[in-house]
Amino acid sequence: MATREIISTGNELAALAGVDAGCTFFGGYPLTPSSEVMHEISDLLPKVGGTCIQMEDEIGAICAVIGAGMAGARTMTGTSGPGMSLKAENLGLAQMAEVPLVCVNVMRGGPSTGLPTRVSQGDILQSKNPSHGDYKSITLCAGTLAECYTETVRAFNIADRFMQPVIVLLDETIGHMHGKADLPTVEEVKAGIVPRKRFDGPAEEYFPYECGPTEPAVLNPMFEGYRYHFTGLHHDKNGFPTEEIETCRKLIQRLEDKVAMHEDELESYEEFMMDDAEVMIIAYGSVSLAAKESIRHLRDEGIKAGLFRPITIWPSPAKKIKEYTDKIKKVLVVELNIGQYHSEVERASSRLDIDGLFKVNGRPISPYEIVNKVKEL
Amino acid sequence: MSKTLMRFTGVGGQGVLLAGEIFAAAKIKTGGHGLKTATYTSQVRGGPTVVDIQLDDKEIYYPYANDGEIGFMLSVAQKSYDLFKDGVQKGGTIVIDPNLIKPTEQDRKDWKIFEIPIITIAKEEVGNVITQSVVALAIANTMMKAIDKKTLVDTMLSKVPAKVHDVNIVAYDLGEKYANEAVA
Repeated sequence: MATREIISTGNELAALAGVDAGCTFFGGYPLTPSSEVMHEISDLLPKVGGTCIQMEDEIGAICAVIGAGMAGARTMTGTSGPGMSLKAENLGLAQMAEVPLVCVNVMRGGPSTGLPTRVSQGDILQSKNPSHGDYKSITLCAGTLAECYTETVRAFNIADRFMQPVIVLLDETIGHMHGKADLPTVEEVKAGIVPRKRFDGPAEEYFPYECGPTEPAVLNPMFEGYRYHFTGLHHDKNGFPTEEIETCRKLIQRLEDKVAMHEDELESYEEFMMDDAEVMIIAYGSVSLAAKESIRHLRDEGIKAGLFRPITIWPSPAKKIKEYTDKIKKVLVVELNIGQYHSEVERASSRLDIDGLFKVNGRPISPYEIVNKVKEL
Repeated sequence: MSKTLMRFTGVGGQGVLLAGEIFAAAKIKTGGHGLKTATYTSQVRGGPTVVDIQLDDKEIYYPYANDGEIGFMLSVAQKSYDLFKDGVQKGGTIVIDPNLIKPTEQDRKDWKIFEIPIITIAKEEVGNVITQSVVALAIANTMMKAIDKKTLVDTMLSKVPAKVHDVNIVAYDLGEKYANEAVA
């Protein structure tokens, strides 16, 4: 794989990824600590003929993105926790109507206004179910500067494949840290773009929501002669509201199954020194960097620790977690919240003795805190 | 050189971030690893700001400098100095602007404290207060010998507009001169 070296921040790399992946519309409302995503893309998009609009608020931003997505564009928005809360209802609309979009959430302290400039991973459960109702959210989490780029690129392809929002989680630390990233070339990224499916038959035979029980809708861009109705209500094959019992059931079951039955296409994780590990640390995002550093120290002292890092957070790599937790006794989940992924690890492992190291004061977890915790296990 | 940990502190709006970016980029240019992380408060101007700079020959994972391991700190605001000084290892180097910071007697026992009027140098000798971050860059590099001077200056010039190249070279040379005099 050819690479190029770029010195930048996580937020700016996410913006660059969007443009390279073919995003032509960004609707946003700058919010600390995600603002640089929008600053950067507002510079980049006009140069490639794209559009960046600062909307009146977070709700306007997600609605603009949904509209551009209906018109066929690859679209993106950026925000942080409070913005996710405001976008929630319309993320649900995009799930229901099956409009692809990429939402980069750079996590800060919460709930509410919280700690705007500080780091947190408090949005893990929110990203699983940002809106009410049943659907299966797809959430990716960058753990290196390079992944701020590569996971955003992947998010665009997944969004078009599954026809739904894909959330890319960064956190304040990874969004703002400034260093080197080895990235794939633009040509390689462009060659990897898989656009959403289109219906090419006669317009009168076009039924966007008439698809297999585990497949996404096929939404042709608006204004190209293929008409359909767009709604957040339960709808039929044309998109028109319906209360017909079987149609309603099948629709919601399909929203779940189109992801659930294809989890293998989404699964992604990193195993770091897991080959001979007797202690498994589970961490994601910037915390995994502290975990890697701690493993260096622990190994120097003869403690065989390893890191398992989920990259696709939702759906979680549950089978792989179970495989490891079946054979490794000491398992420590480290995260900047009070156990939001810890509960998922308990579920996946069917174990209630999973240890946790949590922090919620806006400060990072240092490698030494992890070293000390591992020694206590 | 294997690993250098430096910390720049000030208050929001003083431009302490730029020096960190220049250090990291220059180290990467030499084939090593460099990382800059900043923390700041929601008070964008006037809140205490800290920039950690890590330069290493091997890959850096954790992006923050661990407290107690920092070899060099430069500070241009009392409240930031008070908040972040304890991250510096005992016997480490701290550069302060004496017009803005008054260290305690104990501080002078714990660390090698050098007083250089960074802001005044930028404002009066260079003639442009914004160049204080380049004065600071020069002081840090002269004292820590972190990066070859030419590489660092070239990197710095690549990050500032061409019309202010001359003034920034003056700022760097002055910072270097004051640092050499301070340690002499």
